[in-house]
Amino acid sequence: MSIDEPRVGPDGCGGNAAPYVLGALTEHEHEAFARHIESCAVCREEVAALQLVASALPAAAPQLSAPPELKRRVMSSVRADARKRESQELRRGRASEPGRTSRPAASAWLRWRPNLAVAALAVAVIALAVVALSSGGSAGGGTRVIRAQVLVPRASASLSVSDGHAQLSLAGMPQSAPGHVYEVWLKRSASGKALPTDALFTVAANGAATVGVPGSVDGVREIMVTSEPLGGSRVPTLPALIVARVS
Amino acid sequence: MPMFKPLRSGREGSAAGLGVLADEELMQLVYTGQPAAFEAIYDRHADAAFSLAYRMCGQRALAEDVVQEAFLSLWRSGARYDRARGSVRTWVLGVVHNRAIDALRRRTVHDRGRISDEGIEERLAAPERTDVEFARRDEAREIRDALEQLPDEQSRVIELAYFGGLTHVQIASMLDAPVGTIKGRMRLGLAKMRMALGDPTEVLP
Repeated sequence: MSIDEPRVGPDGCGGNAAPYVLGALTEHEHEAFARHIESCAVCREEVAALQLVASALPAAAPQLSAPPELKRRVMSSVRADARKRESQELRRGRASEPGRTSRPAASAWLRWRPNLAVAALAVAVIALAVVALSSGGSAGGGTRVIRAQVLVPRASASLSVSDGHAQLSLAGMPQSAPGHVYEVWLKRSASGKALPTDALFTVAANGAATVGVPGSVDGVREIMVTSEPLGGSRVPTLPALIVARVS
Repeated sequence: MPMFKPLRSGREGSAAGLGVLADEELMQLVYTGQPAAFEAIYDRHADAAFSLAYRMCGQRALAEDVVQEAFLSLWRSGARYDRARGSVRTWVLGVVHNRAIDALRRRTVHDRGRISDEGIEERLAAPERTDVEFARRDEAREIRDALEQLPDEQSRVIELAYFGGLTHVQIASMLDAPVGTIKGRMRLGLAKMRMALGDPTEVLP
């Protein structure tokens, strides 16, 4: 970016990039400019360049230690939230126990992208077939069970691979955060990109889920699970929570 | 090669036990409702968050409120961290900055006397303990130098905007200068800082 040459877009819009990254626009102006840079490459480029400096500005403030009582207050609220959420999950778990009718039981809450309903149905049939084989104990022979690495404390995951298809079994997983869902990814090489699948799911109240991995896993090196916004992502937004090494 | 070390220590991971994880990995755990992971994130970034909030608000109580609001909003809202947009630290400080701006703009003109808590800088000065903290201190010095080396008119508008929470219109009114001039000074100042800092990629994670 040249200092001497003002960056102005074709419609003369270049002046708001600096106040935008400094937080110096009004709320209304900020929202309008945020919409504008979605379609203006010139402003978007300028914002990206200036944002690097603006993001460094906090370091220019005298560095202080946060008061210990502030941490006590914050963590007290956080733990209270977590306890409340845990007790809600427990209540939901009891409600879904056999014999209780207040809520339909769901052993695995698979959710699929709506526009892929037909493909999803086909995959679900495959998944159900794999579940049936495994639970019947007759899968033996060609079924390989792989223990997955799990980032979440207390949780576990294993992958059953049979005839080129795989099924993930999870236990002890936390409920998805509001507005989020778990997503299954495939990786074909160690350095390759994680490829999204249509397997989006939540876990049952007890943290369990059984998920069929869509398609064949022939040539797949790793199967991963991440937490993503509802509807899933095309690129993982964060590192994987679960990684199962297939080959 | 595994992407991370499996962690299954005890019924719930402790903040200390989670210390080996990167911020991004911790954020995955935060989204699954793990207080210990959130505590680890808090421990890593609370000092920087409080420093920024105090620099902006000038009052300890208000700065504490801002930091508390910011961290609890991260925990409760499920606000999404996107690593494509920068480090977790940058993201956290961005949320703190926005909260502090809201707090400052909520205050009436009558409240806007910047009464600093006397001596707070000495009482709460962050100690330099680790290599990372030393590196951050060096980085902070470079950034302060870059800001101070700007012409006064440029550093002033940047400070009034970023740390003072003022809009470009308010700054123009305060300095009795056209809005376009104020915007130009902001842009020139930031561009010069960028060159002085050697095109910084980001603050240290």
